[in-house]
Amino acid sequence: MRIHRPDGPIAQPVHRLAPSRRVMAGARIGVLDNRKPNAGLLMSAVASHLADRAGSAEPLVLTKNAARPAPAEVIDQLQREVDLVLTGSAD
Amino acid sequence: MIEVVDESPEALYRILEQSGWGDGLPVVAPTEARVDAMLEIYGGSADDVLAVLPPRSGACTARVAAVNAVMAGCPPEVFPVVVAAVRALDRPEFNLRGVQATTHSVAVMVAVHGRVIETAGYNAGFGTFGPGHRANATTGRAIRLILLDVGGGRPGDGDASTQGQPAKYSYCMAENAAASPWPLYPTCRGVDAASAVTVAAVEGPHNVHDMWSTHPAPIYRKVASVMTTLGSNNAVMADSEFFVVLCPEHARQAASEGWSRRDVQLFLHHHARLSRRVRNEHFADMGIEPPWMRSTDDPDAQLPVTGEPDDIRVLVAGGPGKHSCVIPAWGSISRSVTVPV
Repeated sequence: MRIHRPDGPIAQPVHRLAPSRRVMAGARIGVLDNRKPNAGLLMSAVASHLADRAGSAEPLVLTKNAARPAPAEVIDQLQREVDLVLTGSAD
Repeated sequence: MIEVVDESPEALYRILEQSGWGDGLPVVAPTEARVDAMLEIYGGSADDVLAVLPPRSGACTARVAAVNAVMAGCPPEVFPVVVAAVRALDRPEFNLRGVQATTHSVAVMVAVHGRVIETAGYNAGFGTFGPGHRANATTGRAIRLILLDVGGGRPGDGDASTQGQPAKYSYCMAENAAASPWPLYPTCRGVDAASAVTVAAVEGPHNVHDMWSTHPAPIYRKVASVMTTLGSNNAVMADSEFFVVLCPEHARQAASEGWSRRDVQLFLHHHARLSRRVRNEHFADMGIEPPWMRSTDDPDAQLPVTGEPDDIRVLVAGGPGKHSCVIPAWGSISRSVTVPV
C-alpha cells in the first residue's frame, strides 16, 4: 500500500553560510548581541581579541531581541560596516 | 508517496523513525483514500499553500495538512478548524519561528469558538483541556504534527525547548458559550463569525482553585496571584498576554455582581502587580522591559504584569466545579491570533 509523506516540500531556498575569510588582516569585526545573559560580554571580549589580531578597529556592537529576527536596519548596517559577525547565544 | 508493507503500527513506526516524523505515538496511515476523504470538506485546491512553516520553511498545503490530520486521527469535520489554525500560525504577529525554536516550554494552544463546536463534536464542558473527546484530542495533535513534520520543530533540532511539556502533544479546548455570562470571545478580537479559532503561544494551564468565596473579589485575587508568578516570561517582559479561562461558576459569580468581562480585566490588571523592588531583585536588565515600566525608580511602585487590561484574555470553559486557570503567554514576542473558521 502507499501513504502520503507528511512533511511537504521546502518552500524557500535553504540559506547557506558565506564562505569563511581566508585572511583575517584588516577584517572589520561586528557583534550582534541578542541580549541573553552574558552574551554581549562574551562575544565582545572575543571580538576585541579578533580585532587586535586583525589589526582593525574596535568591533561594532549592535543588539537585537533574542526571540525575533534582527531589524532590517541592523542587518543593513552590519553588511555595510563589518566583514565578520559574532552572533548567536542561548540561555 | 511511500510504499509500506502494511498499515500496522509497527510498519508505520519504522517509516516515522527512519524519516524523523511523528510525535512518538501511533498514527493512522495517511492513505490516498483517507487523505482524499479529509480534503472533501475543504473548499479549495489540495495544492493551496496554507502557510510556510519555520524553521524548515515547509510548505503546508491543504493536502499536507490533511495528511497530518489523518495521522492524528481527525474526523473530517474538524479539518476546517485545522486549516484556519494553520493559517493563523502564519501571521507575522504570532512569530512562529521564535515559538518553534525557543528554549521555553511554550506550546500552541488551539481554542475553538462558536457553532463548529457542536457540528464537529468539540468538548467545551467537563475536562475541555483533557482527554476523552476525539475532536479536541486530534485537532491539537494535528497542529503539533504539522509543526513537527512540516515546520521541522523537532526536539533538539529546530525546537530547543529545554524540557518540553505535555501540552506539546495536543492542546485544544473549546469555549463554553452556553455557560458564559459574556459575549463570545472572538467578538473581543473584532472577529464576527459563527465559528472561529484562536491560536496562542502559551504555557500549560495554571490551576486556580476557590470553592469557598461567595463574592468574586477573593476569587479574582487568587487569579491575580497566579498571574504574578516570577518564573513566567510574562513577569520579565511585562507586556504580554494572559489567557484567563474561567470555569462557569467563577464567571457566574462575577456576573451576578454586575461584573462584565471588562470589569474582570480591569480588576486583574489592578491587582496582578509586582513591585519595582521585586523586579529589580529578580530580573537582570535585558532591555526588554516596556518603556512605561522604566518610568519609575520608586522601589515600592506596584507595576502591572501586563501593560493593557485588554491583554488579559478572558473566556469561559469547563464544566461544574470551582477550578479556573491562568495561562501565561510565552511573552510579548508572540501575540495570539483569532480568525474565522
